[in-house]
Amino acid sequence: MNVSPTSLTTRRQWLAGAASAGAAAALASSATARTEPKPRRQLLLLFLSGGASQFETWDPKPGAKTGGPFRSIPTSIPGTHIGELLPHTAKILHRLTVVRSVQSNIADHFQGHYALQSGRIAPGYPVLGSAVAKLLEQPDDVLPGYISIRRNGPKAYTDIGDAGFLGAKYDGVKVYDNLPPENLVRPASISPGHASAADRARRAADERFRQGRDARPIAANEATFSQAEALMRHREIFELAQEPASMHDRYGRHEFGQHCLLARRLLEAGVNCVRVTHFDWDAHQDNFYWHQIRCAEFDRTFVTLLDDLEQRGMLDHTLVVVTGEMGRTPQINNLGGRDHWGRAWSMAMAGCGVQQGLVYGSTNDLGTEVAEDPVTHGDLFHTYLQALGIDSHGNYLIDGQTNPIADPDATPVKALLS
Amino acid sequence: MSAVSLACAFATALAETPPLHREIDALIGERLTTQKVTPAARCDDATFVRRLYLDLTGIIPTAAEARAFIDDPAPDKRARLIEALLASPAHAIHLARVFDVMLLERRSAMGGSTVDVAPASWRAYLAGAFAENRPWDQMAREILGSDGLDEKTGAAVRFYIARNVDAHQLTRDVGRLFLGMDLQCAQCHDDPRFSDYRQADYYGLYAFLERSKIHPLKPKGSALGELGVGETKFTSVFTAKSGSTAPKLPGGGMIADPVLAKGAEYRVAPATKERPVPVYSRRQKLAEELPKAATDGFAANLANRLWAHLLGRGLVHPLDLRHEGNPPSHPALFQRLEQWTIDNGFNIRALLREIALSETYQRASLLPAGTSGVPPEDTFAVAGLRGLSAESFRWSVLQATGRLESHLARANDLTDWQARLSHLEALERPSAGLLAVFSGLPGQPESGFQPTVDQALHLLNSAKSLPLLEAGPGTLLERLAAMQDPATVTEELYLAVLSRRPTADESAEAAAVLTGADRTGALKSLLHGLLLSAEFRLNH
Repeated sequence: MNVSPTSLTTRRQWLAGAASAGAAAALASSATARTEPKPRRQLLLLFLSGGASQFETWDPKPGAKTGGPFRSIPTSIPGTHIGELLPHTAKILHRLTVVRSVQSNIADHFQGHYALQSGRIAPGYPVLGSAVAKLLEQPDDVLPGYISIRRNGPKAYTDIGDAGFLGAKYDGVKVYDNLPPENLVRPASISPGHASAADRARRAADERFRQGRDARPIAANEATFSQAEALMRHREIFELAQEPASMHDRYGRHEFGQHCLLARRLLEAGVNCVRVTHFDWDAHQDNFYWHQIRCAEFDRTFVTLLDDLEQRGMLDHTLVVVTGEMGRTPQINNLGGRDHWGRAWSMAMAGCGVQQGLVYGSTNDLGTEVAEDPVTHGDLFHTYLQALGIDSHGNYLIDGQTNPIADPDATPVKALLS
Repeated sequence: MSAVSLACAFATALAETPPLHREIDALIGERLTTQKVTPAARCDDATFVRRLYLDLTGIIPTAAEARAFIDDPAPDKRARLIEALLASPAHAIHLARVFDVMLLERRSAMGGSTVDVAPASWRAYLAGAFAENRPWDQMAREILGSDGLDEKTGAAVRFYIARNVDAHQLTRDVGRLFLGMDLQCAQCHDDPRFSDYRQADYYGLYAFLERSKIHPLKPKGSALGELGVGETKFTSVFTAKSGSTAPKLPGGGMIADPVLAKGAEYRVAPATKERPVPVYSRRQKLAEELPKAATDGFAANLANRLWAHLLGRGLVHPLDLRHEGNPPSHPALFQRLEQWTIDNGFNIRALLREIALSETYQRASLLPAGTSGVPPEDTFAVAGLRGLSAESFRWSVLQATGRLESHLARANDLTDWQARLSHLEALERPSAGLLAVFSGLPGQPESGFQPTVDQALHLLNSAKSLPLLEAGPGTLLERLAAMQDPATVTEELYLAVLSRRPTADESAEAAAVLTGADRTGALKSLLHGLLLSAEFRLNH
């Protein structure tokens, strides 16, 4: 079923009307009674920050002067090769969609992080996680809609992009180094008796204040406390020690592996969008050494993650997106590095709504230009939303202003969608 | 003509036309009638005193202030309170915080405090200006014209420095914040949606700004240098049609640079570590030309922003999208406010006074009895439920818990804003966590009520902010501990936190929990609960 933004808006408006008429309990039950249940859709974004080289990953050019030292290897799609640094991924390529013709034309970390997540150049738009958190939001969601997992290190460009005009509510909860969000544990100075007495006082006050007023902001206040309580109650999501040792081994006992393991737990618990940032792809020097290390981490963890999602029955409703903010230059510089490149590079997807075993688009023999089927960051953004069952041609309606959800000058790539 | 007789003539002229607040009510009322919308009743005194303190000083009233106002029988007490608060040092400091957030949108310069202008000097610049009710056109001249070196107005350069003197960002934000027009879409092409947004307007504004460059100061801070040469060229992404432009305000004519002999363009020529100063400064020209009554949008933008400050939304809304596709909700009123602003010399305090005096401002947030649904916000039929800004929330928590009042009582003389501002610094550190978690996203205008999970977790569990709840010398809880009668205790608690007396139900509920063994504990829980309530977190 398509979740069109129009129907979302309508439902919200109806909810708002119902809320001002009646009490919260009545609202919740009648809302579920009237809205047909929607299939769950979730998003996992694996963001290769710094920019992975397409030559060393999805679009190898062995033997070409731009190709670098690595070989290409056959994959589970007959006739298709990818870089030898991704041997595990090669075996499951028939489950992925690979795009080899990304043409974002952005060779800057800051702009790239923004554009590849928001599908735009113009500032102020929400990034994918925020947008999807808003568009997939359901009245009975207990956990926050968007959680982003990253290393607690220098911010620079990694945190570029936010909820934009959707506002702080959709900016999501940030998790650093897999630690639970701040203030998840009640401090010793607060007794359980105090907490429940304060909660009763707040509820009583809100219930009184709601009478005869616009109920929406009062319900929004309530929602944040129920989400906070849900997170406190489900703190064990963040306790990776609960996972068996074999699971840790499979995901990898390194930063990216552990972050992906947490991501799976968050998705499983019902968070609609999770982003994991994989760092250190910006290999201006020693590109080949760096890609050996980065790809080794990525390759096993990525395949484990997909297998795990599949085994748990989650992959058919979860879209997994693997992209960075750009690719890397065909030219190898005199430090053995590759520099920033946005003209022709690659990304991959798996899971709900997208084709399996498709390699889309191509580059020329040297990998310097897109040869067939160029895809922009705006097109990708449309495509992600469509794969999640969202009409990407719809509009947000905020403050009486309509604003296109995705860039109207871009289009979904239908061939990528299942 | 002397200043005195001018003022008299002015006063006479004013006496002949109805005061602006009556015109506001008439024009808002007209549309309510045609749309058949019933407005809410006038708000009660308790609601009014809280709303006015929040809007004009950014802080809820003390229990004593709320009680005194509610119990005052004088019929003109609302007008007198408006007058008193507008003249208070707290008002100047509050407007400085409001305009700080409005003009900078919580940006700070890349490179942090070594590069940026000290936030304290920037806010002191603003507070000083608002304390003397400096006209907005003069402030705009100072902000747009500052090179960062003038002793009195230098800190105003933070508008540029916090944006890293990025000419594109500045073009967008000068348009948005001073003219109410977001020209962003015109950057790459003529905005296809709106015929009044033209690429030439964008680049015309850009041409004023693109020659300005950041110049680092030792040991820290920054000033502005400017080149004396350089042409502005642009190309449309759609038509590949290109053009070049001299500086030009949206809708205005091009302003040609004066012809200077080659080599005579500079007072200080560009050189390593030198701050270049041109003979003719395009940025100075912008500061001179933009803040004028004749500039399309300059007066209207101020009026619309002050209106939104008090009513929760603009007549044109969002505030930076004034164009033919997004007309004002009340065109005649919008024009009237614009003209009044011009006629009254961009007098911020006078306009705030008139809006606050209107019945439109003084409506209740309770929906009129017998109506179904919430009337559209742009009718201004019912007072909106507005989230407290991060600053207001922080200071209001300090007020509600008694900490602000007792801290101020320890100072000798706080009649001027500087003394008050520096005395308040001691309370900033213990409440810094509140400010941080309630602040909006950098580079985004703050509007509406946007509660987040992070805020809820912070308010429930933060070891940084929870100590504010504890009893201690001069706190509300200590004051309440000294009172015996449960009814007296409950009344003081409600007046301190919610600026009103408790209802009978609330008194009864409070009395029931206060009879237990741990009365202080019960009061602390009740106080905490009220601080988490929507009623406290909203300006209603």
